[in-house]
Amino acid sequence: MNTAAERLQAAFAAVETGVSRDDIPYACVPVDQVVAALRLLRDELGYQRFVDLTAVDFPEREDRFELNYLVHSLTDNAWFRLKARTAGMAPSGVSVFPGLNFYEREVFDLFGVVFTDHPKLERIMLPDTWNGHPLRRDAPIVWEPVEFSKGRQEQYGD
Amino acid sequence: MSIELPVRDTSAQRDGAPGFVLSRLQDWSRDKSLWPVLFGLACCAIEMMAASASRFDIARFGSELFRPSPRQADLMIVAGRVSQKMAPVLREIYDQMPDPKWVVAMGDCASCGGVFNNYALVQGVDKIVPVDVYVPGCPPTPDALIDGILKLKERIGAGQARNV
Amino acid sequence: MATDTDTRPPTPERELLHINMGPQHPSTHGVLRLELDLDGEIVVTCQPVIGYLHTGIEKTFEAKTYLQGVTLTDRMDYLNPLGNNLAFALSVEKLFGCEIPPRATVARVLLAELTRIASHLVWLGTTALDLGASSVFLYCFREREQCLDLFEEMSGQRMMTSFIRPGGLAMDFPPGWEERAAKFLDIMPERIDEYESLLTNNPLFQERMVGIGRITAEQCLAWGVSGPILRATGVPFDIRKAKPYCGYETYDFEVPTGRNGDCYDRYLVRVAELRQSVRIARQALDRLPEGPVRTSDRKVMPPPREELAHSMEAVIHHFKLFTEGMRPPRGEAYVPVESPRGELGFYVVSDGSGRPVRVHERAPSFANVQALKVMAEGGMVADLIATISSVDPILGEVDR
Repeated sequence: MNTAAERLQAAFAAVETGVSRDDIPYACVPVDQVVAALRLLRDELGYQRFVDLTAVDFPEREDRFELNYLVHSLTDNAWFRLKARTAGMAPSGVSVFPGLNFYEREVFDLFGVVFTDHPKLERIMLPDTWNGHPLRRDAPIVWEPVEFSKGRQEQYGD
Repeated sequence: MSIELPVRDTSAQRDGAPGFVLSRLQDWSRDKSLWPVLFGLACCAIEMMAASASRFDIARFGSELFRPSPRQADLMIVAGRVSQKMAPVLREIYDQMPDPKWVVAMGDCASCGGVFNNYALVQGVDKIVPVDVYVPGCPPTPDALIDGILKLKERIGAGQARNV
Repeated sequence: MATDTDTRPPTPERELLHINMGPQHPSTHGVLRLELDLDGEIVVTCQPVIGYLHTGIEKTFEAKTYLQGVTLTDRMDYLNPLGNNLAFALSVEKLFGCEIPPRATVARVLLAELTRIASHLVWLGTTALDLGASSVFLYCFREREQCLDLFEEMSGQRMMTSFIRPGGLAMDFPPGWEERAAKFLDIMPERIDEYESLLTNNPLFQERMVGIGRITAEQCLAWGVSGPILRATGVPFDIRKAKPYCGYETYDFEVPTGRNGDCYDRYLVRVAELRQSVRIARQALDRLPEGPVRTSDRKVMPPPREELAHSMEAVIHHFKLFTEGMRPPRGEAYVPVESPRGELGFYVVSDGSGRPVRVHERAPSFANVQALKVMAEGGMVADLIATISSVDPILGEVDR
């Protein structure tokens, strides 16, 4: 059906494949194989354009963070999604796509996933002294109740 | 031997007719040449740029130049959302402005946090700096911004300035 | 570049000047901070520091319904609000799999191209202003005001219209709007000629832009750079041609590309894109069919108000949509669109409830700002201004 997913399935153990609702095929590899999978996609399968990295938090799972790498092939004109599930650690793919630098820092900052071998894993969006990782599902949004300066009676007299 | 230096009189009210005229002259000149510091942060900055372009033209009200250096400005128009990382920077810029200085909170995010009631934004720039005029809107149209500045200029011209 | 013929030994670290540019700076196009190491006037390292506009929008999405989320998308890339709305609407509609009526589809193309024109006008005006040509700034904003007048007439808002929603448009265009839009598109080509006459062959402008801020195609692909920067290196990649949405395959337009990947080529590419946008918008306006602007799928868009008077089912649909919100089926979707800055898309993950599990914006400026490092290093510090303007970053979408 799709050669990229089949090649990944052949190369790595325990790969789950499928196609998302947007017709972009995906493959879920074990997290320690992510760098090798990215290298395979880039060098042998022609997915040379790096597009995106993000994470989704499923707190009910043990490996709660699902990393989503999106790459694109100019020759085949196709997008591919590489997924990896992790409980908190992942290898850094900066050696394969240097563009992953800021993206991994963002996932670290907002989710708390630590990317080993990253050249400079620091917070990027929030101040360096911030505590916590706000985009996790169990982190609060910190919604402030709005204080009105006049009550209804004062304003409208009823 | 120590020299007594004269104490600088910073009160707005001066005694006598000449003092009155001088302070009115001061208020008039501050009102007529209000120079904002460049502090466009987000979407409201685009409407602030449109206010300084040819259709709305804020220059005819005295704000000919937006000064990049806070030391040369007397008005800070906080145009946009102030994040937690930007808040200390905002305060530093405000502190560097010499007295008398005024602050216009442009837009909903600067006035009260706007649409974004969450962890990342300071809910209203009046938590950090004293604000003179709030201009609501998301973003406020350039005419709304100019209306806010005109209201501020009325108060400055009438001597109801915050500082000094 | 200075280092090509520079035969001096490398400067020891202690003689490098570490300087900070921004976040409050007249030319950084927003709250971008650059940490620079300078060897005299040459930029040795350039590290962008972002986060000064972080608004927590992606977290806020999770607390809102999909319709409320549309208003948040306007404020991310604030120069391309209708384009953001479109990208989000396409992703949500992909999850639903609903049909969009033809009038809405053509109107979306028209609005997206009008927004592209407005965004490129701001880019051109601020680039010229940064390099000292302040009258071009005033001319560009004069045209932009006409465009914003069109938006204000149709939606009530100049910038954050939230007009393109999952399921179609918010409402139909008012009477007479299409004639006014046609008038605007008619005057644009000669106005673009006016801007070009001031800048393109201007030796001062060329001196400041040619050969500055180079990036190669391989670097663009590795760093995730897309849009006019990628096209200026010679790669003819445009999502409107590669993975067309909203019927772009039926429109007649070209994809301008450059050769050298420097600031001047990016300028030429964007000005050519302005012309192509006028062309596409003209075609869309000419073929705008009659009909509804909202999908008939009652799980996505509410029924028209007249129906509420005599249909109980319509009342129930209306009620459910405005209390619980629309509920896309479980799944994930990402539909890329071509924003004025590059590949833009919203990755929406739904679990079947009225609020999304995760909405992530693939912001083109996030990758483009990262690549500033590649473009600026080795050049002079005065050329940094031209480089930043040619990258056209919008910090609202970089920091989200």
